Amino acid sequence: MKLLALMKKEFLRFFRDPKLIFTMIFPGVLIYAIYSILGGVMWDKEKTYDFRAAAVSMPPAFEELLQTAANESEGVTLTFEKTEEKDAAKKKVESGELTALIVFPANFEEEIKTPHVGESAPMVEIYYRSADEESGAFYNFASAVLNAFESAQTNLFDINAGEGYDLSGEGSIFASVMGSVLPFIVVALVFSSCMSVTLESVAGEKERGTLATILVTSVKRTHVALGKVLPLACVALIGAFSSFLGIALSMPKLVGVSVGAFAGSYGFLSYFMLLLLIFSIVPLIVTMISAVSAYSKSVKEATAYTSVIMVFVMVISLVSSFLEGVGGWVCVIPILNAVISMQGVLAMNFAVWQALVSAGLNIVYTGALVLLIAKMLSSEKIMFGK
Amino acid sequence: MEEIVRAENLKKTFTLSRKQQKIEKTGQTHKVAVNGLSFSAYRGQIYGLLGPNGAGKTTTLRVLSTLIKPDSGDAFVCGHSVTKEPQKVRDCIGFMTSELKLEGFFTPDFLFDFFGSMHGVEKEKLAARKKELFSRFGIDRFAQVKVEDLSTGMKQKISLVVSIVHDPDVVIFDEPTNGLDVLTAKVVTDFLTELKEMGKSVILSTHIFSLVEKLCDRVGIVIDGGMVRDGTLEEVCEGRTLEEKFFEVYRAVKGEEI
Repeated sequence: MKLLALMKKEFLRFFRDPKLIFTMIFPGVLIYAIYSILGGVMWDKEKTYDFRAAAVSMPPAFEELLQTAANESEGVTLTFEKTEEKDAAKKKVESGELTALIVFPANFEEEIKTPHVGESAPMVEIYYRSADEESGAFYNFASAVLNAFESAQTNLFDINAGEGYDLSGEGSIFASVMGSVLPFIVVALVFSSCMSVTLESVAGEKERGTLATILVTSVKRTHVALGKVLPLACVALIGAFSSFLGIALSMPKLVGVSVGAFAGSYGFLSYFMLLLLIFSIVPLIVTMISAVSAYSKSVKEATAYTSVIMVFVMVISLVSSFLEGVGGWVCVIPILNAVISMQGVLAMNFAVWQALVSAGLNIVYTGALVLLIAKMLSSEKIMFGK
Repeated sequence: MEEIVRAENLKKTFTLSRKQQKIEKTGQTHKVAVNGLSFSAYRGQIYGLLGPNGAGKTTTLRVLSTLIKPDSGDAFVCGHSVTKEPQKVRDCIGFMTSELKLEGFFTPDFLFDFFGSMHGVEKEKLAARKKELFSRFGIDRFAQVKVEDLSTGMKQKISLVVSIVHDPDVVIFDEPTNGLDVLTAKVVTDFLTELKEMGKSVILSTHIFSLVEKLCDRVGIVIDGGMVRDGTLEEVCEGRTLEEKFFEVYRAVKGEEI
């Protein structure tokens, strides 16, 4: 009964405060909006370029080569303005009147007939403005075409000319991207979500003296600890889930895959494991921050300690992206175990036992931390020390 | 007379941080707050701990209310040891001090029910007690207003009501009228008398002589963590006013002119 009353109080504190609800849900909505817009800009818009380039001493064969390449590219039109006034043309490029300037050496065609080994080769100059998107695109286009021409001249061998060599399906390429990025983002979001509710609730109550009022009643310290941790974990889960949904729904757009293809990439087991792992780290992080908050004298002090933990957790989850072939022992390291398991799940390459053991151990660690918090609540030095 | 609270040789020492050493202008790393303090309080009486600031009154009350543990000695409240059975002690005391605050976000109505649950009070009993106490202190009109929006006096009344939600046998008050306006102070002192008439025992700390003379049956003069006089008001005063007696005792103990 006492535990229920404590939990009810925490839930009411949250759900009766529209500001708190807003701060929990809003990040997810924001992430969805930003990623969707970014993805839309990156993938949906077909770019069209109208290159107007000045050319100095351009041999007709090269004009044809570039023109053909432009005609074959979708949305690209190319017109050349032939000139011998290099400096004047440069000024026009600089002022934005022309897209770029391409300068060939005199007798270029003659010079490239023989290879220049050990001496300086004739150089084609392309003047452009990297700050201008179209001008930059011309530079990429022209240098790619000319480079291809150059390597065709000295063609000793090719590697993978054409397409169809990458045997990964769209889903698995996507999975590897998700596997390396998403666990880090999830942990970051879960942590910030836990931080925003826990610091105020535990360190704030201690600082304001409202926690001591509860401690003077006959309620057990373990109940006080659980009465904080359980509701806070639920609230933090809402925040984490909102952010997770925001990412999950917008990530396909960001990497240019349809939501259907994303959802279809993973089976029920993957989704279940993912949620289980998130559900196991949320209470763990909440208890970690609660313990730090209970130890601290003020919200300010607790925030400082928690920031250090946050950096540590972030580094762990970031470094784990580069860890290859770690053994099963990683299961015993809190949070890292869930990150590695999540990576496995998202990359479609995971051991069920490892994910289950990781989640189970995280819950055990949470229990141990709850007992530690109860001990701290009984300590007059921690609770009433000046 | 039934003994309801007994303090036996209580001793409590605090470690001073460097900052505290600076504030107190001392090089000592420890401060003895309570030094071998003993006294007894009886059912249906009001006991007053009288002393200057820093004498150890609040520390004694915090030991009695189980918020802190004594280094040595023990105290018994309703027959339960504060060191060995703190939970049972908490069930039979109500403790009110400015240190303990109420969450301003909630209403008096919610907080009363919440603290009732913390003490395991049954629902029906709780509802009846809420009605009685809220109307007694004029809280009923503000029952649904957030505590943070109420006046200081009203907040104090709510703290008082919440501290006795479980109808405890012993009520411990640290400086009960501190910071209150004259009207609220009167409500509080009247209520203390009422508690006494109801057979409850009250232990309060104060440095206000008139409050002790008006309310207390027994008084203990605390100076430098020690109990220097203890007894009924008449025994302690020996025919003089409490103020005169206090300064006489103070001079005798400290050897200082005031």
